[in-house]
Amino acid sequence: MTYLLYPPLILPCPCGWRNHILAPPSSTATTMNPVQRRGLSGSVQPGQDFVGRSRSRSVRCMANPRRVKMVAKQIQRELSDMLLTDKVLQFAVLPEASLGADRYLSSLTTISDVEVSSDLQVVKVYVSVFGDERGKEVAMAGLKSKAKYVRSVLGRRMKLRLTPEIRFIEDESFERGSRVIAILDKIKNEKSLENQNGELSDSSAHDDDNWDDVDPDEGIIYVD
Amino acid sequence: MAKPIPKIGSRKNGRIGSRKHARKIPKGVIHVQASFNNTIVTVTDVRGRVISWSSAGTCGFKGTRRGTPFAAQTAAGNVIRTVAKQGMQRAEVMIKGPGLGRDAALRAIRRSGILLNFIRDVTPMPHNGCRSPKKRRV
Repeated sequence: MTYLLYPPLILPCPCGWRNHILAPPSSTATTMNPVQRRGLSGSVQPGQDFVGRSRSRSVRCMANPRRVKMVAKQIQRELSDMLLTDKVLQFAVLPEASLGADRYLSSLTTISDVEVSSDLQVVKVYVSVFGDERGKEVAMAGLKSKAKYVRSVLGRRMKLRLTPEIRFIEDESFERGSRVIAILDKIKNEKSLENQNGELSDSSAHDDDNWDDVDPDEGIIYVD
Repeated sequence: MAKPIPKIGSRKNGRIGSRKHARKIPKGVIHVQASFNNTIVTVTDVRGRVISWSSAGTCGFKGTRRGTPFAAQTAAGNVIRTVAKQGMQRAEVMIKGPGLGRDAALRAIRRSGILLNFIRDVTPMPHNGCRSPKKRRV
Protein backbone atom coordinates (compact mmCIF):
# COMPACT_ATOMS: atom_id res chain seq x y z
CA MET A 1 0.00 0.00 0.00
CA THR A 2 1.78 3.05 -1.22
CA TYR A 3 -0.22 5.67 0.52
CA LEU A 4 1.78 5.55 3.68
CA LEU A 5 4.61 7.68 2.37
CA TYR A 6 4.04 10.85 4.27
CA PRO A 7 4.54 11.56 7.92
CA PRO A 8 1.55 10.88 10.11
CA LEU A 9 -1.38 13.08 9.38
CA ILE A 10 -4.39 13.73 11.48
CA LEU A 11 -7.63 13.82 9.57
CA PRO A 12 -10.96 14.60 11.11
CA CYS A 13 -13.40 11.86 10.34
CA PRO A 14 -16.47 13.08 8.50
CA CYS A 15 -18.78 11.18 10.76
CA GLY A 16 -17.43 12.98 13.76
CA TRP A 17 -16.55 9.88 15.70
CA ARG A 18 -12.91 10.49 16.17
CA ASN A 19 -9.82 11.76 14.50
CA HIS A 20 -7.93 9.34 12.40
CA ILE A 21 -4.20 9.21 12.43
CA LEU A 22 -2.50 7.89 9.35
CA ALA A 23 0.44 6.02 10.80
CA PRO A 24 3.74 5.16 9.09
CA PRO A 25 3.97 1.81 7.25
CA SER A 26 5.19 -0.11 10.27
CA SER A 27 1.71 -0.36 11.70
CA THR A 28 -0.17 -3.47 10.80
CA ALA A 29 -3.83 -2.81 10.25
CA THR A 30 -4.37 0.83 9.66
CA THR A 31 -7.31 1.72 11.78
CA MET A 32 -9.18 4.01 9.53
CA ASN A 33 -12.76 3.74 10.27
CA PRO A 34 -14.89 3.70 13.30
CA VAL A 35 -16.43 0.34 13.73
CA GLN A 36 -19.93 0.36 12.40
CA ARG A 37 -21.53 -1.25 15.35
CA ARG A 38 -19.26 -1.54 18.30
CA GLY A 39 -20.09 -3.73 21.21
CA LEU A 40 -20.53 -0.68 23.40
CA SER A 41 -24.08 0.10 22.51
CA GLY A 42 -26.70 -1.31 20.31
CA SER A 43 -27.25 1.93 18.46
CA VAL A 44 -26.32 2.17 14.86
CA GLN A 45 -23.46 4.38 13.82
CA PRO A 46 -23.48 5.15 10.18
CA GLY A 47 -20.25 3.80 8.81
CA GLN A 48 -18.12 5.78 6.48
CA ASP A 49 -16.45 4.35 3.51
CA PHE A 50 -13.77 6.88 2.85
CA VAL A 51 -11.87 8.93 5.33
CA GLY A 52 -10.91 11.55 2.84
CA ARG A 53 -8.63 12.10 -0.06
CA SER A 54 -5.62 14.24 0.27
CA ARG A 55 -2.79 14.71 -2.12
CA SER A 56 -3.82 11.83 -4.41
CA ARG A 57 -3.61 9.24 -1.71
CA SER A 58 -6.41 6.73 -1.81
CA VAL A 59 -7.44 5.46 1.52
CA ARG A 60 -9.26 2.23 2.12
CA CYS A 61 -11.30 1.51 5.13
CA MET A 62 -10.28 -1.32 7.36
CA ALA A 63 -12.16 -2.44 10.37
CA ASN A 64 -10.73 -2.80 13.81
CA PRO A 65 -8.87 -6.13 14.09
CA ARG A 66 -10.81 -6.92 17.22
CA ARG A 67 -14.03 -6.46 15.38
CA VAL A 68 -12.80 -8.66 12.57
CA LYS A 69 -12.25 -11.42 15.09
CA MET A 70 -15.68 -10.93 16.57
CA VAL A 71 -17.31 -11.06 13.17
CA ALA A 72 -15.36 -14.20 12.33
CA LYS A 73 -16.51 -15.89 15.51
CA GLN A 74 -20.08 -14.88 14.92
CA ILE A 75 -19.99 -16.17 11.35
CA GLN A 76 -18.61 -19.45 12.61
CA ARG A 77 -21.46 -19.79 15.08
CA GLU A 78 -24.06 -18.94 12.50
CA LEU A 79 -22.69 -21.31 9.90
CA SER A 80 -22.39 -24.19 12.35
CA ASP A 81 -25.91 -23.56 13.45
CA MET A 82 -27.06 -23.54 9.85
CA LEU A 83 -25.36 -26.84 9.22
CA LEU A 84 -27.32 -28.32 12.09
CA THR A 85 -30.72 -26.81 11.47
CA ASP A 86 -31.06 -25.74 7.88
CA LYS A 87 -32.62 -28.43 5.75
CA VAL A 88 -31.35 -27.12 2.44
CA LEU A 89 -27.74 -27.07 3.55
CA GLN A 90 -27.95 -30.48 5.17
CA PHE A 91 -29.33 -31.94 2.01
CA ALA A 92 -26.52 -30.36 0.02
CA VAL A 93 -23.88 -31.84 2.28
CA LEU A 94 -25.46 -35.22 2.79
CA PRO A 95 -27.78 -36.15 -0.04
CA GLU A 96 -29.22 -39.14 1.75
CA ALA A 97 -30.69 -36.85 4.38
CA SER A 98 -33.63 -36.24 2.12
CA LEU A 99 -34.51 -39.90 2.17
CA GLY A 100 -34.84 -39.82 5.92
CA ALA A 101 -31.47 -41.29 6.85
CA ASP A 102 -30.40 -38.11 8.48
CA ARG A 103 -29.81 -39.49 11.93
CA TYR A 104 -27.42 -42.18 10.80
CA LEU A 105 -24.61 -40.33 9.15
CA SER A 106 -22.10 -41.47 6.64
CA SER A 107 -20.03 -38.34 6.94
CA LEU A 108 -19.79 -35.49 9.38
CA THR A 109 -19.09 -31.94 8.29
CA THR A 110 -17.62 -29.44 10.68
CA ILE A 111 -16.59 -25.84 10.25
CA SER A 112 -13.15 -25.72 11.73
CA ASP A 113 -12.14 -22.16 11.04
CA VAL A 114 -13.34 -18.92 9.56
CA GLU A 115 -11.02 -16.23 8.27
CA VAL A 116 -12.34 -12.83 7.46
CA SER A 117 -10.43 -10.30 5.43
CA SER A 118 -9.74 -7.08 7.22
CA ASP A 119 -12.30 -5.13 5.24
CA LEU A 120 -14.99 -7.71 6.03
CA GLN A 121 -15.67 -8.46 2.40
CA VAL A 122 -14.27 -11.92 1.87
CA VAL A 123 -14.78 -14.84 4.19
CA LYS A 124 -12.84 -18.07 3.87
CA VAL A 125 -14.56 -20.94 5.61
CA TYR A 126 -12.42 -23.99 6.33
CA VAL A 127 -14.52 -27.11 6.37
CA SER A 128 -13.39 -30.47 7.64
CA VAL A 129 -15.27 -33.56 6.62
CA PHE A 130 -15.04 -36.84 8.47
CA GLY A 131 -15.73 -39.83 6.33
CA ASP A 132 -14.50 -41.59 3.27
CA GLU A 133 -13.26 -40.06 0.04
CA ARG A 134 -16.59 -40.02 -1.69
CA GLY A 135 -18.31 -38.43 1.29
CA LYS A 136 -15.72 -35.68 1.28
CA GLU A 137 -16.18 -34.90 -2.37
CA VAL A 138 -19.91 -34.90 -2.11
CA ALA A 139 -19.88 -32.63 0.91
CA MET A 140 -17.46 -30.10 -0.56
CA ALA A 141 -19.24 -30.02 -3.90
CA GLY A 142 -22.57 -29.55 -2.17
CA LEU A 143 -21.27 -26.70 -0.03
CA LYS A 144 -19.63 -24.92 -2.92
CA SER A 145 -22.79 -25.09 -4.96
CA LYS A 146 -24.75 -23.52 -2.13
CA ALA A 147 -22.36 -20.62 -1.53
CA LYS A 148 -24.81 -18.00 -2.78
CA TYR A 149 -27.65 -19.40 -0.77
CA VAL A 150 -25.47 -19.41 2.34
CA ARG A 151 -24.52 -15.82 1.68
CA SER A 152 -28.13 -14.74 1.49
CA VAL A 153 -29.13 -16.58 4.65
CA LEU A 154 -26.16 -15.16 6.50
CA GLY A 155 -27.17 -11.68 5.41
CA ARG A 156 -30.60 -12.24 6.82
CA ARG A 157 -29.30 -13.58 10.10
CA MET A 158 -26.49 -11.15 10.76
CA LYS A 159 -26.70 -7.42 10.57
CA LEU A 160 -23.73 -6.41 8.51
CA ARG A 161 -23.48 -3.48 6.19
CA LEU A 162 -22.24 -5.62 3.33
CA THR A 163 -22.61 -9.35 3.48
CA PRO A 164 -19.25 -10.82 2.60
CA GLU A 165 -18.52 -13.24 -0.18
CA ILE A 166 -18.15 -16.76 1.16
CA ARG A 167 -15.61 -19.25 -0.05
CA PHE A 168 -15.50 -22.81 1.22
CA ILE A 169 -12.11 -24.41 1.46
CA GLU A 170 -11.38 -27.97 2.44
CA ASP A 171 -9.40 -28.23 5.67
CA GLU A 172 -7.02 -31.12 5.75
CA SER A 173 -5.20 -30.28 8.93
CA PHE A 174 -7.35 -32.57 11.05
CA GLU A 175 -6.69 -35.44 8.73
CA ARG A 176 -2.96 -34.85 8.69
CA GLY A 177 -2.75 -34.40 12.44
CA SER A 178 -4.68 -37.58 13.00
CA ARG A 179 -2.37 -39.50 10.70
CA VAL A 180 0.73 -38.18 12.44
CA ILE A 181 -0.61 -39.07 15.85
CA ALA A 182 -1.55 -42.55 14.64
CA ILE A 183 1.98 -43.11 13.37
CA LEU A 184 3.45 -41.85 16.63
CA ASP A 185 1.20 -44.15 18.62
CA LYS A 186 2.22 -47.08 16.48
CA ILE A 187 5.87 -46.34 17.05
CA LYS A 188 5.29 -46.02 20.77
CA ASN A 189 3.49 -49.34 20.88
CA GLU A 190 6.22 -51.03 18.93
CA LYS A 191 8.84 -49.62 21.27
CA SER A 192 7.01 -50.78 24.35
CA LEU A 193 6.60 -54.23 22.84
CA GLU A 194 10.32 -54.36 22.14
CA ASN A 195 11.09 -53.38 25.70
CA GLN A 196 8.85 -56.09 27.02
CA ASN A 197 10.40 -58.67 24.76
CA GLY A 198 13.88 -57.51 25.73
CA GLU A 199 13.12 -57.98 29.43
CA LEU A 200 11.73 -61.45 28.89
CA SER A 201 14.80 -62.63 27.02
CA ASP A 202 17.14 -61.23 29.73
CA SER A 203 15.40 -63.12 32.51
CA SER A 204 15.47 -66.39 30.57
CA ALA A 205 19.24 -66.06 30.00
CA HIS A 206 19.69 -65.58 33.72
CA ASP A 207 17.77 -68.80 34.41
CA ASP A 208 19.93 -70.75 31.99
CA ASP A 209 23.07 -69.70 33.82
CA ASN A 210 21.68 -70.95 37.10
CA TRP A 211 20.80 -74.28 35.57
CA ASP A 212 24.33 -74.87 34.29
CA ASP A 213 25.95 -74.28 37.65
CA VAL A 214 26.00 -77.78 39.12
CA ASP A 215 29.30 -77.23 40.94
CA PRO A 216 29.61 -77.05 44.74
CA ASP A 217 30.07 -73.30 44.67
CA GLU A 218 26.40 -72.83 45.18
CA GLY A 219 26.87 -70.29 47.86
CA ILE A 220 28.23 -67.80 45.38
CA ILE A 221 25.50 -65.42 44.31
CA TYR A 222 25.98 -64.01 40.86
CA VAL A 223 24.92 -60.43 40.79
CA ASP A 224 24.21 -58.78 37.51
CA MET B 1 -27.82 -61.91 64.57
CA ALA B 2 -24.08 -62.19 64.80
CA LYS B 3 -23.13 -59.80 61.98
CA PRO B 4 -25.01 -56.63 61.17
CA ILE B 5 -26.46 -56.63 57.68
CA PRO B 6 -24.95 -53.71 55.75
CA LYS B 7 -27.51 -51.20 54.65
CA ILE B 8 -27.52 -49.89 51.11
CA GLY B 9 -26.59 -46.40 52.11
CA SER B 10 -23.93 -47.37 54.60
CA ARG B 11 -20.61 -45.67 54.06
CA LYS B 12 -18.43 -48.07 55.96
CA ASN B 13 -18.19 -50.70 53.29
CA GLY B 14 -18.14 -48.35 50.40
CA ARG B 15 -21.26 -47.84 48.35
CA ILE B 16 -22.81 -51.06 47.20
CA GLY B 17 -24.07 -49.52 44.01
CA SER B 18 -20.62 -48.91 42.64
CA ARG B 19 -19.63 -52.56 42.83
CA LYS B 20 -22.13 -53.48 40.16
CA HIS B 21 -20.32 -51.50 37.51
CA ALA B 22 -17.17 -53.59 37.31
CA ARG B 23 -18.69 -55.58 34.51
CA LYS B 24 -17.43 -56.21 31.04
CA ILE B 25 -19.39 -54.67 28.25
CA PRO B 26 -18.32 -55.40 24.71
CA LYS B 27 -20.67 -52.87 23.16
CA GLY B 28 -21.40 -49.37 24.30
CA VAL B 29 -22.46 -45.93 23.28
CA ILE B 30 -20.19 -42.91 23.29
CA HIS B 31 -21.93 -39.58 23.66
CA VAL B 32 -20.00 -36.52 22.58
CA GLN B 33 -21.46 -33.19 23.53
CA ALA B 34 -19.51 -30.55 21.65
CA SER B 35 -20.35 -26.99 22.51
CA PHE B 36 -18.30 -24.02 21.44
CA ASN B 37 -16.54 -23.72 24.77
CA ASN B 38 -16.14 -27.29 25.91
CA THR B 39 -16.48 -30.92 24.92
CA ILE B 40 -17.86 -33.63 27.17
CA VAL B 41 -17.40 -37.28 26.28
CA THR B 42 -19.52 -39.83 28.13
CA VAL B 43 -19.49 -43.56 27.67
CA THR B 44 -22.63 -45.46 28.54
CA ASP B 45 -23.88 -48.93 27.89
CA VAL B 46 -26.54 -49.63 25.34
CA ARG B 47 -29.33 -48.85 27.75
CA GLY B 48 -27.87 -45.50 28.68
CA ARG B 49 -26.31 -46.12 32.08
CA VAL B 50 -23.12 -44.13 32.37
CA ILE B 51 -19.87 -46.02 32.67
CA SER B 52 -17.39 -43.20 32.66
CA TRP B 53 -16.97 -39.70 31.37
CA SER B 54 -14.38 -37.10 30.75
CA SER B 55 -14.35 -33.60 29.46
CA ALA B 56 -11.89 -31.05 28.22
CA GLY B 57 -12.15 -29.26 31.54
CA THR B 58 -11.32 -32.34 33.59
CA CYS B 59 -8.32 -33.01 31.39
CA GLY B 60 -6.67 -29.93 32.76
CA PHE B 61 -7.55 -27.36 30.14
CA LYS B 62 -9.04 -24.13 31.34
CA GLY B 63 -10.82 -21.25 29.77
CA THR B 64 -10.69 -20.81 26.01
CA ARG B 65 -8.47 -23.83 25.52
CA ARG B 66 -11.28 -26.16 26.46
CA GLY B 67 -13.02 -25.44 23.22
CA THR B 68 -10.14 -26.42 21.00
CA PRO B 69 -10.10 -29.65 19.03
CA PHE B 70 -6.94 -30.81 20.78
CA ALA B 71 -8.72 -30.71 24.13
CA ALA B 72 -11.58 -32.75 22.68
CA GLN B 73 -9.07 -35.24 21.42
CA THR B 74 -7.43 -35.69 24.84
CA ALA B 75 -10.79 -36.03 26.53
CA ALA B 76 -11.85 -38.74 24.10
CA GLY B 77 -8.51 -40.48 24.51
CA ASN B 78 -8.89 -40.48 28.28
CA VAL B 79 -12.28 -42.06 28.20
CA ILE B 80 -11.29 -44.70 25.68
CA ARG B 81 -8.34 -45.74 27.76
CA THR B 82 -10.51 -46.20 30.84
CA VAL B 83 -13.12 -48.11 28.96
CA ALA B 84 -10.89 -50.29 26.82
CA LYS B 85 -9.67 -51.92 30.01
CA GLN B 86 -13.22 -53.05 30.60
CA GLY B 87 -13.17 -54.71 27.25
CA MET B 88 -15.25 -52.51 25.01
CA GLN B 89 -14.78 -53.31 21.39
CA ARG B 90 -17.67 -51.83 19.47
CA ALA B 91 -19.35 -48.54 20.01
CA GLU B 92 -21.93 -46.27 18.60
CA VAL B 93 -21.27 -42.56 18.65
CA MET B 94 -23.88 -39.93 19.32
CA ILE B 95 -22.87 -36.38 18.61
CA LYS B 96 -24.62 -33.39 20.03
CA GLY B 97 -24.07 -29.76 19.34
CA PRO B 98 -21.94 -27.61 17.07
CA GLY B 99 -18.35 -27.14 17.98
CA LEU B 100 -14.90 -28.26 17.02
CA GLY B 101 -15.03 -31.21 19.36
CA ARG B 102 -17.21 -33.16 16.99
CA ASP B 103 -14.60 -33.90 14.42
CA ALA B 104 -11.63 -34.16 16.75
CA ALA B 105 -13.27 -36.55 19.19
CA LEU B 106 -14.50 -38.74 16.36
CA ARG B 107 -11.06 -39.00 14.92
CA ALA B 108 -9.58 -39.82 18.29
CA ILE B 109 -12.13 -42.59 18.78
CA ARG B 110 -11.42 -43.98 15.36
CA ARG B 111 -7.69 -43.93 16.02
CA SER B 112 -7.95 -45.78 19.28
CA GLY B 113 -9.04 -48.98 17.65
CA ILE B 114 -12.63 -49.20 18.79
CA LEU B 115 -14.98 -50.27 16.02
CA LEU B 116 -17.58 -47.69 15.19
CA ASN B 117 -20.97 -49.11 14.39
CA PHE B 118 -22.92 -45.96 13.70
CA ILE B 119 -22.44 -42.24 13.91
CA ARG B 120 -25.58 -40.40 14.87
CA ASP B 121 -26.31 -36.78 15.33
CA VAL B 122 -28.66 -36.19 18.21
CA THR B 123 -28.61 -32.43 18.49
CA PRO B 124 -31.86 -31.42 20.16
CA MET B 125 -34.10 -29.83 17.62
CA PRO B 126 -37.31 -28.19 18.76
CA HIS B 127 -40.35 -28.49 16.56
CA ASN B 128 -40.61 -24.72 17.14
CA GLY B 129 -40.94 -24.81 20.89
CA CYS B 130 -39.28 -22.44 23.33
CA ARG B 131 -38.22 -18.95 22.33
CA SER B 132 -34.51 -18.89 21.58
CA PRO B 133 -32.22 -16.31 23.24
CA LYS B 134 -31.86 -12.95 21.57
CA LYS B 135 -29.43 -12.46 18.70
CA ARG B 136 -25.92 -11.43 19.54
CA ARG B 137 -25.04 -8.08 18.09
CA VAL B 138 -21.64 -7.81 16.55
